[in-house]
Amino acid sequence: MTRPILSLCVLGLLFFKLSAQNATEIVKKADEKARGENSGISEMNMKIVRPTWERTVSFKSWSKGTDYSMVLITAPAKENGQSFLKIEREMWNWNPVISRMIKLPPSMLSQGWMGSDFTNDDLLNQSSAVIDYTHKIIGSEIIENHNCYIIELLPKEDAPVVWGKLIFWISKDDFLQLKNEYYDEDGYLVKSEIGKNIKSMDGRTIPTVYELIPADKPGNKTILEMVSIKFNAPVTNDFFTQQNMKRLK
Amino acid sequence: MNYLKLAWRNLWRNKRRTLITSASIMFSVFFAIVMRSFQLGTYNHMIKNIIESYSGFVQVQHINYHDDMVLENSFDFSIETLSDLENIEGIKSVTPRIESFALASTGSQTKGAVVIGIDPERESQLSDPQHLLVKYRITDKTIELLVNSKISTEIIKKVKEQLNESFSSRESVELALGLKGPDLDKWIVNILEFSKFSGKILSPDDDGVLVSDRLSKYLKANIGDTIILISQGYQGASAAALCPVRGIIKIPAPDLDNKLIYMSLPKAQSFYGMEGKLTSLNINPKDNSERNLPKIKAEIASALSNPELSVKDWKEFNPVLKQQIESDNQSGQAILGLLYFIIFFGIFGTVLMMVHERSREFGVLISIGMQRTSLAIILLYEMLLMGFFAVLIGIFASLPLLYYGNVHPFRFTGDLAKIYSSMGFEPVMPMMWIDTYIFWQGFVVALMVILSCLYPLRKIFTMKEVNALRA
Repeated sequence: MTRPILSLCVLGLLFFKLSAQNATEIVKKADEKARGENSGISEMNMKIVRPTWERTVSFKSWSKGTDYSMVLITAPAKENGQSFLKIEREMWNWNPVISRMIKLPPSMLSQGWMGSDFTNDDLLNQSSAVIDYTHKIIGSEIIENHNCYIIELLPKEDAPVVWGKLIFWISKDDFLQLKNEYYDEDGYLVKSEIGKNIKSMDGRTIPTVYELIPADKPGNKTILEMVSIKFNAPVTNDFFTQQNMKRLK
Repeated sequence: MNYLKLAWRNLWRNKRRTLITSASIMFSVFFAIVMRSFQLGTYNHMIKNIIESYSGFVQVQHINYHDDMVLENSFDFSIETLSDLENIEGIKSVTPRIESFALASTGSQTKGAVVIGIDPERESQLSDPQHLLVKYRITDKTIELLVNSKISTEIIKKVKEQLNESFSSRESVELALGLKGPDLDKWIVNILEFSKFSGKILSPDDDGVLVSDRLSKYLKANIGDTIILISQGYQGASAAALCPVRGIIKIPAPDLDNKLIYMSLPKAQSFYGMEGKLTSLNINPKDNSERNLPKIKAEIASALSNPELSVKDWKEFNPVLKQQIESDNQSGQAILGLLYFIIFFGIFGTVLMMVHERSREFGVLISIGMQRTSLAIILLYEMLLMGFFAVLIGIFASLPLLYYGNVHPFRFTGDLAKIYSSMGFEPVMPMMWIDTYIFWQGFVVALMVILSCLYPLRKIFTMKEVNALRA
């Protein structure tokens, strides 16, 4: 009598393990797809929406892995030529108007980047959705004609993350992140990201518009629109230098 | 009429007694007025420094600016609006401004600063940068030059005490050095010559800045140096500029002197990326009394007729100063109350003495058939007459002091001055010139005279002639 029950339990455990493996696998695939594996060059428009006004900033960005990235502002004209360099967890800003290199102090990490809803901290501390969290499928839902897994991510005990919980909507066929929700430690929604306008770019099908909506500021959002992107473009480590920040075009 | 005549004669019958009582009343009035004058004068001075010659008594702002002082809550500025407002009868000056913050740096030193975009011509009616411009600054070089020119050590010592101080006029240098007579005449020219400081004010579309004195010292920025300004502009745009320093200005309020930068309006508009916009129109009415402000506000509001704009008086946009004055005023009034208390017993004491002295006289009068009421009326007349003249003399006696204290304000020096400055006050205690408060002080003292009459009146009505005659 005990044998079948035991085997049922083992089977159950195995099943649970399998589904967990599955969820992790899904997040991993989606993460790889979003990050562009190794390196990338992209052009983007960032539209900052506020209750009474809107503003668009255009920039070009180069990145290599998660440790190196460089951003050059190209529009509006007044801010053209400003560049940002990120190496691991440090960030510098070059402003050609005053010819000064400014290292972003820790006190400025929680401020919005270029007046947007992205904080400098968002850009710097990209914790890994794959490594730092445990994953669980909690349902499925159709978003914009895509059948999605709803996956709950809970931070591991020693993970250096600020969130209490994340919920990802990842499409079942293409592994695209169509919606992410970020919750604080008390379980309140802090911000949501919505991926839209799925198109093929440089041979990959990806959402080309990202909306960032802070939950506590009604009427505020930031819309990031990808104009062009090149995956696995040849960018070397010596591109990411302070000298190069001043020369970018 | 006879009562009055009798009272008058009674007063002169014993001159010394009258003199003592009226002296006590007179000094009471004198002290009450002087004390109140110091208090009110200080508030007035604060209002003059901060409101009249910095922010204006009335401001036109965007309707949301007061709650959220961001550049997005600015408004479109047209020259027509400005001239419309200037045409209002009771308005003295209208000054357009942009006010925001920036990080000011000279490379090694960095400090947060208040950046104010001004129209240099119109600003002369409000904070008057020309008047504030530092024209003399005593430096190590000044002292070195003075030592070389064989000046007496005593004077050098006095100059040394003012090391690193800045002055915007010859008078303030003279005042700070405290030199007198021939010494002053002989050396002031040299001292001024050696401490000369050559700034200029901004031209209407200048791309330079004026930096407040203390801020310039902190940043170690001199005239001709370039300071870096970094901020966030209109609608989140990044604002950065290199600005040559055109002049140093000395702001009387130390708190502002620590952090003020003046920029020309067009430069400020392009720096913050808000061409054609303002954060405030700062208005000084001709009559800035408390009674007139609501009227002027209503007139401005109807001239603007724009639902996006609001008109605020200084108590609304500077509640901190208002509360500061109110709380200080309350403690001032408490002390004044204490003074009244002492004054009352002073007067009462002399009245008590008088009644005691005269109780035999009163007894005789009543015994020979004088009505108690008549006696009481005479006594009341005596007190009122004495009170009236003493109060009047007290008021007149205080006038020269008020005048002097008003024209030559009492100025703290040394450590006390530093304490005052660090608290954000200018170390000056000017006195208030004649105003209604004087009559209130006189009135209160007169009231106390009447109050202290109650005892002698009661005494007259309850007095036993037999006892009184024996007194």
